[in-house]
Amino acid sequence: MSHDLRDAEAHEPAVSHDLRGQPPHRQLVDLLLIQLSNYRWSWRGMVVTGVCAPLMSTVGLGLVVKQSAQANLLYVLTGSIVLSLMFQNQNNVAGNFAFMKAVGTLDFFATLPIYRHIVIVATVLAFFVLSIPSLLVTVIFGSFFLDVPLHVSPLAVVVVPLCVMPMAGIGALIGVLARTQAEAGSTSLLVSIALLFAGPVILPPDTLPDWLLAVSRVSPSSYAASAIRQVGFGPVTGQLWVDVGVLATLTLVVLWTVGRKIQWHER
Amino acid sequence: MSRIAYDVRNLVKTYPKQSSRATDDVTFQIAEGEIFGLLGDNGAGKTTLVRQMVNLLRPDAGRIELFGRDITEDPRHVSRLVGYMPQSGSALNRLTVGEAVYFAAHLRGLGASAAKRERDELLDLLRVTEIRNKSSSHLSGGQCRLLQLAVAMAARPPVLVLDEPTNDLDPANRKYVWEVLRHWNSEYRTTIILITHDAVEAEKVIKRVGIVQRGRFTALGTPAELKSATALKLHVELSFLPGDPPELPPGMTPWKTADDSWALTVDRGDAQELLAKLDFAKITDIRLYSATLEDLYLHYVS
Repeated sequence: MSHDLRDAEAHEPAVSHDLRGQPPHRQLVDLLLIQLSNYRWSWRGMVVTGVCAPLMSTVGLGLVVKQSAQANLLYVLTGSIVLSLMFQNQNNVAGNFAFMKAVGTLDFFATLPIYRHIVIVATVLAFFVLSIPSLLVTVIFGSFFLDVPLHVSPLAVVVVPLCVMPMAGIGALIGVLARTQAEAGSTSLLVSIALLFAGPVILPPDTLPDWLLAVSRVSPSSYAASAIRQVGFGPVTGQLWVDVGVLATLTLVVLWTVGRKIQWHER
Repeated sequence: MSRIAYDVRNLVKTYPKQSSRATDDVTFQIAEGEIFGLLGDNGAGKTTLVRQMVNLLRPDAGRIELFGRDITEDPRHVSRLVGYMPQSGSALNRLTVGEAVYFAAHLRGLGASAAKRERDELLDLLRVTEIRNKSSSHLSGGQCRLLQLAVAMAARPPVLVLDEPTNDLDPANRKYVWEVLRHWNSEYRTTIILITHDAVEAEKVIKRVGIVQRGRFTALGTPAELKSATALKLHVELSFLPGDPPELPPGMTPWKTADDSWALTVDRGDAQELLAKLDFAKITDIRLYSATLEDLYLHYVS
């Protein structure tokens, strides 16, 4: 090489302003706003899968079990709520991570002075915010149609987002591991259906075989359904703290795994 | 004395399930404030090389220092100092053009009002102000490249790594982007590393060039150094009235012929003989020039 530049000392370049990036809380706000812009494409899906599908399951299963015990109606309603949350969070987050991987958004984020875990948390939070309208529609319509009275506990403000996090985390994991967007979509749908029926989520426990009840002990949707039943329709029992503990642990484990698997600075 | 921006040492990268190396023991330095061009065929390993330089790929062996610091030990050092424009992809697909530039500037560290000013200036500079409210997913190929360039330039990082910045641009915009890059380099002393196939235009901007083939540099130096090293001939383009070609000295044969134009290559010593022999009454236009960067590229990769 003709130009020997090796004599130069290590140095910082002269820059006219601070390029160290933003502190974590500002990164979170920016990334949250960026991810909220997903409403521009996700609102159609929100109407179809986040509202219509849960309403149809509420009506369909509700008509079947309407004459039975109130407890069974409660399972139909909470199951529909979990279904709405899964479609709006797990499936959309999976699709969004697969999309970001495909079009280079994750690469772009990786070249900015931001933390990968903040990208993950902001994405999950944004889709939770976007899922609130469909959640409210499902709760209000279901309560009215099935004649199940609402007894919303103030704890719902904390518990409902916590119910969403493991599912959204599973969606993120599917999205970062899938090779294509189509693969992410179909895998997430399959997992959603499996989680919905792997325990007393939409069907009461006395209708399920023992082995399925055993399987439900490792399914986040079972704990989410249990927690939502307690904070949405009462009464709140000691089981809620078990549910919260399991959901919080699952959230940490899943989001940490996503952070390890995400395509960032290649390890 | 120039200071080093990038110092790349013995870099090696092989993709899984590939037998040949995508980067094969590459060593070079780039000075602060330099405009460095990477030329090479498709699949030569240029993109793999720059993706390692922006820390999106980890090399199997070797070392990359950016302003004296190893980038694999401190990944945020790169993201703090380098604006990267990828070869493809749409990055912030859901945002509008204005939002994409604003968030890039803000996340790189500018305050909200400074980021807004930066957005307005960059959109104006790259002549895309009229599409600022258009969704990034609805842009044409050329508009998308201009947006990606604006996003890479946002907050004026001291290093720009641009993977084919003029792809998909029309000739006028291509020429303008080269002007912008030259201006940016002289105004802010920005170090610019770029991959391009647009060798003719790039020659006006690039200060040093590396020609990549099969993961290695086959040539590295200033265009003038490479030209003198290859002792290339002169190029002659002759235009004449259709069907009435001029007579050439014996032994000179055009390598490109049309009904009204020829192109030929002559040794420097033979140029005078050619000019003396030509009947200029028959010549409508003549161009005589030394090797271009494109000629060098073709020479080194062939």
